[in-house]
Amino acid sequence: MTRLIIRRVLWTVPVILLVILMTFLLMRQIEGNPFRHSERAIPESIQRNLEAKYGLDDPWYVQYVRYVRDVATFDLGPSLVLRNRDVNDIVREHFPPSLELGALAMLFALVFGIPLGLLAALRANKWPDYSAMVVANVGFAVPSFLVATLLIYFFAVRWGDIFDVPTSGWDTWQSKILPTIALGLGPMAYFARLTRGSVLETLQQDYIRTARAKGLRRRRVVVVHTLRNSLIPVVTAAGPILGFLITGSFVIEQIFAIPGIGRYYVTAVTARDYSVVMGLTVLLAMIVIIANMVVDILYGILDPRTREAR
Amino acid sequence: MRITTRALVAAAIAGSFAVLAAGCGGGGAGSNGGGPIDQVITINWGTEPPSLDPGLATDTTSADVLLNIMDPLVKLGDDLEPVPNLAKSWDISQDGKTVTFHLRDDGRWTNGDPVTAHDFEWSWKRTISPDLAADYAYQFFGIVGASEYNSCESGCAAMRDKVGIKALDDTTLRVELTSPQPWFVQQVAHTSFLAVNRATVEKYGNKWTEAGNIVTDGPFRLARWDHNSRLDLAKWNDWRNADTVKLKRINGRMISEGTTAVQAYEAGEIDMTAGLPPEELPRLKDTDAYSQYPGLGTYYYGLNVKTIPDVNQRRAMAMAIDRRTIIDNIAQADQLPATGFTPQGMPGFDEINPDSQWLPAAGDIDQAKELMSKVANPNKNISLLINDSPGHREIAVAVQAMWKELGLNVTIRQQEWAQFLEFLGPPPDASVDAYRLGWIGDYVDAMNFLELWTCKSGNNNSNYCDPSYDALVAKARQTEDNTERYKIYAQLEDKLYGENGAVPIVPIYWYTYVQLERPTIKDSLNVNLLSQTDYSKVEEVEPS
Repeated sequence: MTRLIIRRVLWTVPVILLVILMTFLLMRQIEGNPFRHSERAIPESIQRNLEAKYGLDDPWYVQYVRYVRDVATFDLGPSLVLRNRDVNDIVREHFPPSLELGALAMLFALVFGIPLGLLAALRANKWPDYSAMVVANVGFAVPSFLVATLLIYFFAVRWGDIFDVPTSGWDTWQSKILPTIALGLGPMAYFARLTRGSVLETLQQDYIRTARAKGLRRRRVVVVHTLRNSLIPVVTAAGPILGFLITGSFVIEQIFAIPGIGRYYVTAVTARDYSVVMGLTVLLAMIVIIANMVVDILYGILDPRTREAR
Repeated sequence: MRITTRALVAAAIAGSFAVLAAGCGGGGAGSNGGGPIDQVITINWGTEPPSLDPGLATDTTSADVLLNIMDPLVKLGDDLEPVPNLAKSWDISQDGKTVTFHLRDDGRWTNGDPVTAHDFEWSWKRTISPDLAADYAYQFFGIVGASEYNSCESGCAAMRDKVGIKALDDTTLRVELTSPQPWFVQQVAHTSFLAVNRATVEKYGNKWTEAGNIVTDGPFRLARWDHNSRLDLAKWNDWRNADTVKLKRINGRMISEGTTAVQAYEAGEIDMTAGLPPEELPRLKDTDAYSQYPGLGTYYYGLNVKTIPDVNQRRAMAMAIDRRTIIDNIAQADQLPATGFTPQGMPGFDEINPDSQWLPAAGDIDQAKELMSKVANPNKNISLLINDSPGHREIAVAVQAMWKELGLNVTIRQQEWAQFLEFLGPPPDASVDAYRLGWIGDYVDAMNFLELWTCKSGNNNSNYCDPSYDALVAKARQTEDNTERYKIYAQLEDKLYGENGAVPIVPIYWYTYVQLERPTIKDSLNVNLLSQTDYSKVEEVEPS
C-alpha cells in the first residue's frame, strides 16, 4: 500500500507539468488582454508598463520556465486583475470555503443517497422503489441553479420567519444549509441510483442466498454482506464527484455569494487573469489526483482482492 | 423500516409540491425587515472591489468605497459642479494652464499624521510612474511631463522631477497643465486623484490596502474586509467634519447575483441594493423601495463606416430603431431615448444636444425605407457583434427585427467580453459591420464623450475619421470659456447627427441607475450622475 501511494505521488509531478504547459498554451491561444476590462482603450505606454511589470513581454517559454520554478517554491504569482493580491492569498482565503461546501454536499449526498438507493432495491418494483426513484430522478434532472433559487425563495424569503436561514453568505451554520442541499441534490440522486442497481445485483449472488440459508439476521445480511459489496461502484464514482463538488460549485457560490474559489476560477478566465487561472488549475488538478488516490486506497479496504492484485 | 419509508415518501411529496408551487409563481413580498434605527445599515457592494489603492482602482465598486474612506480635494455637487472639500479653494491662472489648490489644514490620516499637499504630490507622481503600471495613469496626461514620465525607459528620476505637480508648502499644491482644461478641477474629484499615506504604502508594499494595514483620511474607516464576502466601514470619529456624519457603521455584503440580492433585501438582510435584474423590474417598480436616477452614460450601436460606406444606409439604420419599444419592453428602467451622443445631465446639454432628426424616439420606418431606397450598393448582410452580458442579446434581437424591415439580413454574433474587445479593435475586425457598446463618463464635460470619435481615439471602433471633426475637438480643448466651448460641442454633435451628419454611431438610450432602498434610509440617493454615493450624508430616520 505504501509503495502504491509513493508511486502515485511521484506520478503527479509529470502530470502537473503537463497540466501547466497545456493551460499555459491554451490561455495564450484565446484572444484577450488581461489588462483591459472595460470598453476604455489602454494607452500604449501603460500597456507596456503593465506587461513589463508582470513579465508578459518575455517569450512564452521563458515565462513557462519561470512559472514552473515559482510553482516549485509554492509561489503562484500575483493576480493580474486584483492588483493587490497574490494567487497564494486567494487560495489560502478562498479554498477553505469551497472545500467545506464540497465536503458538506458530499456528506449530504452519501447520507441520503445510499439509504434511498438501498431502500429502493430492497423494495424493488414496489411503491417505495418508485417514490425513491422519482425523488432521485427529479434531483438529478433539475439544474442546481434552479434548486438554489427555489430554496432561497421558499426557505429564506417566503417562510423566512419559520426557518430562519439567510438567503446568502457563508459565516453561520444556518447559512450553510441551503447551499449544501442545492449542491448535494444531484450527486445524492446519482448515488441513490447507483446503490439501487448495485444492491439489486448483489442480492442475486450465491453468497447472499447462502447467508440467508444459514439463518443470519436480515439486518446482518443487508448491512454486512450486501451493502459492503455493493458500495464499490459508489466509491469509484465518489472520487471524481468529490473533485467536481469542490471545483465545480461556481454556480452555487455565485448564487449564494459564498467566498469560494469557484467564483474566482470562472471570473479569472473571463478576465484573462493568467496567473489565477494557472494557479487554480494546478491546485484543482492536484485535488482530482488526490481524490482518485483516496479511491484506490478505499478499494483496497472494501475489496481485499484488489489489494492483493497490486 | 416501514416508518422510514413513509417519512421518505412524505418528504418526496412535499418536495414535489414545492416545485409545483414555484411553477405557479406567486409574488410574496417577503418580510419588510430592516433593523432598529441605530444608524447602522447593511448594503450590497455587488462585487469585491478589485483594488482599494487609489492609484490602481479603475472601477465603480472600488470608487464607491474609496470616496467614503478617503478625503478628496474636490467633490461634485448636485449639478456636477466642483465643490470645495479638502481643498478649501483653488485659483486658475490667466492662461488657464496653472491650477493652484489651497488645502485645509485640519485633514488627518487615521494614524494621526496631517494630510498635506506633499501627500498629493507624492501620490500623484506614484500613479504616473511606470513602476506602478497604473491603468489610469492617463488621467494625469493633461499635466505637463506626465505622459513622458509614464513612458520613460531611462532617466526616469529626472523626468519625475519635471512633472508639473508641486507642493509649494503643506497646504498649497500647484499643477501645471499642457493646455487650459476647464474640466480639470472636476476631474480631481475622481478616485485617481486621492492621496495615499506614503509611510503606509512604503511599509506594507502591495498589501497596504488590507484592513489591518490601511491608513485613510475620510469620514469612514475600513473596519473589516473579508475578501469576496464582507467589507464594513465604521465612522471615524476624529475626521475633521465628523460631527456632520450620522451613520455609525455601514456593513457591506458582496452579493453579485442580482436575484439573490433582491431576495436578501426582501428577507430583510440588506437595506439597499443597486443594479437590479431587468426581469425583476416590472414587479419591483411599484414598491416604495424602488428608486431610479439618471446616469451619465450612453448605450449605443456603432457602425463600421468602411463596410457600410453609404451615409443614407447608416441614417436609415438609425431611423429604423424604435427606442421607445426597446426601453419599455426590454431595458425597462425608464432609460431616456437618446437624441444625440452626449447624455442628458451633462453641463451645457441644452446647447449641445442636436435633437437629431435621424434619431426619432419611436423610430420612423417609412422614412428609413425611403432613405434606404436611395442607397446604390447597400450592404445587406450585417454582422452585429455583441458581448454576452445579460440583456444585450434581447436588444440585439429587437434591432435585428427592426433592420429586417429595411431588407437587411442581420446575423448576431455574441462573444465573451475579452474576445469581444479584441474583435472591436480599433480598428474593428473586417467581419464586424455593427457592434453594441456603452460609454459612462469619467469626468464631467462633453469632451469626455465627443473626443471618442476622433480619428486616432483608442475608443473609436467605427472607422469614422473626419479631420475637420478632429480640428474642432482640438479647438474645444483650447477653449476655456464654457459657452464658447459648448458651441463647439454643438458643432461636433452636428457633424455626427445634424442634417448632413455622418451617423457613424447610433445612440440607443441614456442610462439610468435603479436600486432598492429601505424607506427609513434618507438620501442615500445623494448619488450624482457618476453614480457615486456619499455615505457621510446618509442617515437612518423613523419610518414616515
